[in-house]
Order: sequence, then C-alpha cells, then structure tokens
Amino acid sequence: MHHETMASGIYLPELDVPAADLTDRSRRLEFRGNARDYFRIWIVNVALSLVTLGIYSAWATVRTRRYMYASTALADTPFEYLARPLPILRGRLLTALIFALYALAGHVSRPVQLGAALVVGLFMPWMIVKSLMFRARYSSWRGLRFHFTQDYAGAYQWYLLTYLLLAVPMVLVIVLSAGGHALVGLLLAFAAFTGIYPWIKGNQQQWMIEHHHFGGKSFRFKGQLSNYYAIYIKAVGIAIVAFLACAALFGALAVSALKGHLQGFNPKAPPIWFIASAYLVMAPAYLAVWTYAHKAMTNQMYNQAQLGSYRFHSTLAYWPLLGIYLSNAVVVLCTLGLAWPWARIRLARYRAANLEIIGGGDLNDFVRDAFSHGEVGAAATEMDSLLGIDIGL
Amino acid sequence: MTPAVYFDGLSTRPIWVEVWREDAVLHWRTADRQRAWQASLASMEPSARVTGLPFVLHLADGAHLQIEHDQMPADWFPGHHRLEKLVDWLERRWMAALAGVVVVVVSLLALFEYGVPWAADRVADHLPHALESSMGRQSLTALEGRVLLPTHLSAERQTHLQAVFWHFALGMPGLGDVRLKFYSAPMIGANAFALPDGTIVFTDQLASALPDDEAFIAVIAHELGHQVHHHMLRQVLRNSGAFIVAGMMMGDVTSMGGITAGIPLFLINSHYSRTFEEDADGFAFAALSRQDIDPVAFVHMMQALQRSHPESKDQAAERYVMSHPLNADRIGRAEAASLAFKARHGAGAAVQAKK
Repeated sequence: MHHETMASGIYLPELDVPAADLTDRSRRLEFRGNARDYFRIWIVNVALSLVTLGIYSAWATVRTRRYMYASTALADTPFEYLARPLPILRGRLLTALIFALYALAGHVSRPVQLGAALVVGLFMPWMIVKSLMFRARYSSWRGLRFHFTQDYAGAYQWYLLTYLLLAVPMVLVIVLSAGGHALVGLLLAFAAFTGIYPWIKGNQQQWMIEHHHFGGKSFRFKGQLSNYYAIYIKAVGIAIVAFLACAALFGALAVSALKGHLQGFNPKAPPIWFIASAYLVMAPAYLAVWTYAHKAMTNQMYNQAQLGSYRFHSTLAYWPLLGIYLSNAVVVLCTLGLAWPWARIRLARYRAANLEIIGGGDLNDFVRDAFSHGEVGAAATEMDSLLGIDIGL
Repeated sequence: MTPAVYFDGLSTRPIWVEVWREDAVLHWRTADRQRAWQASLASMEPSARVTGLPFVLHLADGAHLQIEHDQMPADWFPGHHRLEKLVDWLERRWMAALAGVVVVVVSLLALFEYGVPWAADRVADHLPHALESSMGRQSLTALEGRVLLPTHLSAERQTHLQAVFWHFALGMPGLGDVRLKFYSAPMIGANAFALPDGTIVFTDQLASALPDDEAFIAVIAHELGHQVHHHMLRQVLRNSGAFIVAGMMMGDVTSMGGITAGIPLFLINSHYSRTFEEDADGFAFAALSRQDIDPVAFVHMMQALQRSHPESKDQAAERYVMSHPLNADRIGRAEAASLAFKARHGAGAAVQAKK
C-alpha cells in the first residue's frame, strides 16, 4: 500500500484557513479490507494471469491494487488507484525484455553485462523519478490526485552521486590493507561509512517528501540529520546482537546434530542441510535488522513531514511489526504462498492503524492545483518492483 | 433515490447527495434541495465492480460521485467493464477461488515443466552459433587459471586418451566441432563437462580415477550427449527463463518475493538439469551400442568411481558421482539399454552363425 505518497509542505500561497475550529484533531487511517475477500480476488486474478500467459496480469494488478487503495480510508473517504492496465502491460513487457537481455549477456560476455549494469545504474535515478511520478499521479483522494514534480538533478545527486562517496572508504580499506594496516583501514572505513550513509538516507527522504504535492499544497519536511545517525547506529547494534544470537543458536544446533560423526564433515563441501539451515537461522536475523530500519525510517518520514497545516504521526513499533513480519513469513512459507493475501491485509491494517493526520482543519481545504500532468509511463514503476529496489519508503 | 457523496474535483469538500436516474440522465441534489446537478450517463465513466469497494462515477470535468458498494442499480451502466464484470462474478465465489487454486497449481507446473523449456528451446534453435561459441569461450576464460590449471597428465597418457576420444568421436556422424581438453582442477576434483563451443573439459582427477578405457569412453559418450543436444545453452536459457518468469510473478510481491523465490527456483533448475542428464544418458547408451560397447560400461564406470573412495582421503572422485547421482532409475535405464544391446547383438551373432 502506497500511502507513502502522502507525505509533505506548501507551494501555493496558503488559502484562507477557516478561523473557526483551530483545535487540533487527529484522524487515523482506517483499513477496511478483509482477508477473505482479498484472497478470492487475489487467487482468481493470479489464475487468470497464468492462464492468459501474463497478458491479464496488468488487469490483475490494477484490480488488486484498487482493492488495497480503496480499502484504506481517511476521514471516511477511501483512496483511489486510477492507473490503466495497458500502460502497465507495456511497462511489464519492456522490463521483461531488458531483464532477459541482461541475464543472457552475462553468459555471452562479461564486459557486455557490466556495460548493461552500468547503463541500468545510470538510468536508476531517472527511473526512480518516473516511478514516483506514476504512483503519485494515479493515487487520489476525494477526487484530487497526488503529484510528484520531476527533479532529475536532485535524483541523480541523492541516488547516484552521493553513493560514489561511499567508494572512498572502500578505497581506504584496500590501500591500508595493502600497507599492512588492515584493521585500522577497516575501522576507518566503518567510521566513514556510518558518517556518510545516514546522511544520504536522510537527504533522500527529504528530497522525496518535498517533491510531493497534494491539493494545491506541497509537502514540507523538517528533518533532523542526527535522528538518522541514531537510527543507523541502533540498527548496527541490533545487527550485531541478532547475528550473534542466531549464530550461537545455529552453532549449538549444528554441534549437537553433528555429534558422533564429526569426522565425516568436510568444511569445504558442507552438506545441503547444513547450508539450508544456516540460511534458515540467518533469515530471522536479517529480518530483525531490516524491520528496525524500515520501522524507524517510516516513522521518521511521516513525523517530520507536513502538508499545509496538517502534521503526520506514525507510531509503528518494533516488536509488533517484527512479530507480524515473522509470523507472516512462517505462515506464507507453510501454506506454500496461499496465505499471502492474509499476510498482506494484516500488515496493511497494522500500518493504517498507526498513521494519524493531525491538524486544525477539516481536511476540506485542499484544492485542485494549476498543474496539468501528462500521462506517465508505467515502465519505470514496473522496473522498480521487478528489480526489488526499495526506494527507501 | 440512491445516497452518494459528490466531490466537485476542485476541492476535497464532500457533498452528501441523493442520486436518481431519468432515462439517460443522472440527477443528484443535496438533501436540503438547495443545489442540484445533472449529467448524461454516457458522459460518465464508472469504476469497475470490486467486492466491498465503493463505485466511483467519474464526470468529464474531473468531479466524481461515490456510491457505496451494492447500492448502485445494475442497469445504470450495463455495457461497461464487461470483462471485469465476469471477473467480479468469479471473485465473489468460493468455488471459483478453489478452482483458482487448482488452476494456479496446474498452470505453474505446466509452465515450468513444459512452457519455459519449450520457449527456451525455440530461442536456442534460433540463436546464431557464434553466440554459443562465445558463451563457451567466456566460460573457459573465466575458469582457466583459477579453477582449471595446466594438466599434470603425462604426454603419452594424453595422447592415448585423445586417440581413444577421436576414434570414438569420428565414429559418430554429425557431431560437429568438438575437442577434448585436460586440466588439473583441485578445486572441483574429478569431473567432466561440456562447454557450448564444443570443448569437453576433463579433469586429471577424473582421468586417474577411471579403471579402464571403456569407462573413459562412457564418460565421453555422456558428455558428447550434452554437446550434441546443446544442453548448456538450453540450460542457460531455461534457467534465465524461469528466473524472469518467476521475477515477473513476484513483481507484485516485492518484499517477500526475494526470499521465497530462491528455493523453488533452485528446485526448478535442478529439475531441468536432471532431464538433461537423462537425455545425455540416452545419447550415451545409443552411441556406445552403435560402437559395439555394452552400455552397462556406464554403470560399471560409476560404480568404480563410487568404490574408489569409501571414506578415503580421495574425496575428489566423489564429485563426478555427486553431480551425476547413480540412482536406481539410472541403473535401470542403463541395464535396459544393455539388454536391448545384448538382444540385438545376440540376434546379429545368430544371423551370422546361420550364414
């Protein structure tokens, strides 16, 4: 669910706010969908997509997304998903083609694949802008569409150039380990990395929020850079604890399982069950870290954003969210994917219940803005979700 | 009269109205009758029906009417969204959902069992041979010097094996451009594999574990089978195909897709390589029979390799066995081929004796 598009500030002069009722009211998002309905919608659409060899999949996407959007209501009015299937289908075909060429290139010639990866990397910020534009344009509430202004320079700055800065600590490690100071290099690189990464992430968030608009107002962002450092330092701490705990657990299990026939164990060629269970134990550790970063960044994004006279308050909490993710993963795996709709509804319900819009107005003071927005291709959005790139939302 | 909410498209202010229809025109007004609007049905674009969701009737000027689900009379827009009406009808039925589960399972099986391999093989047929050669060269350059080191086999052993190889290969028409190369490969141990450009890579470790020339020919026949049927190219295409198809399907499922897609993809890929192994076996049995070698030589070779390393330090020989597991199926097929071979030879001998 992309209520992430509703973050934000002011770009048109404030219209006169009604003088009455200036006490702040808080309105929670409400998720009205249920797993039974969504399961039927989902399975029928997946089946039709497979039977039509993927042609119907664009229609299926529109229907399932419409269900998620329209089941989310703010002040008793549901959101709307307005995208048309055909542009999505076109985008999907284009993505499949690019993907196929890339996959094949690796087997034919390494330089060609490297070149392709470089080209994709160069286009990534452009695709991020396009995909944010597409999402915003086709999300609407009470008849007004969201809007994302194109800012390619900003996208290239925050999603490409600043990442090049991260190459500096890498070079540092190589130079220092070549000089025999591997440990010093590693520590310095770690310090440089923790110095740069939160700064990039914070600025990406600000850039993204500040280019969104709704109803004649732009979203504003009052970011505190120190907040992001706190988030990532905590995330590193959680990573160390979680991986140590999971590794210890795995070690204990492996030793007890191997007891007696340790001599048959070849560390260079471990048996399949050993590798599989290593992944199985590490997956929760990864999830524990990812959930923290995701939760903290989402809260940060909403809590620092503002739209007109309205503020946002996001209250995602670590343990409930981690519980949802873990149990979702277990149930989805055990049902071979059939519980996917249930998992999705659960998460959407939790996320909606933890987002409030606070302000003195009655939410009626948004107006259609003067921008005329052209149609935006779906290819970039599709590319994004296929390559699994999280835009940091 | 149907209750609805009217948004004028200029602001987010909701206006509660009552809607009714007069012929081809829709009318709506506020409850206090202070304000009223109208528009022809033809000028409106209704949203498609979805369980539980309100209908949205979009007007030409950007305004819209929102009508609660199941409250809109069905005869207002009979001709719209014909396809989605059918889909909606299905989506409301548990029987359809159940049928959907069956359809999904069956079509996923069919897609990965027949669809992807079929499409990949058609693509393979149409790719230029130059692509296949450059693929083989690319793999060899990637491995040479790192995994594949210069051979330690003596010159005469090499000459002997090459001679056996060429004697066998030249006896097979339509083999195309093939060559045999020896490498020392401590990392991968006893192994042999066919590259798409016609190169058969044979490791020293495997060469020294083979009991006799017949076993050597058995391995070669199997690898030539991979070569003749373009297995490596087809494997690459099938795996990429499965990867792309799965990726497209997981596209909507981004967050958890990565983790869950890995396991089935691994199973699918090893399933494809198993069918290729069967193919290569079949080719080998036929080729061996044609050159008057009993296909059972293949089983003997595998058994010899398995015997040669019972919990010994020689783990190397195990590798070829591991990538070519000797299961009952495989032995069964080899023995069937061997029986057919013996029957044919027995008959041939009998015919010759009569003459």
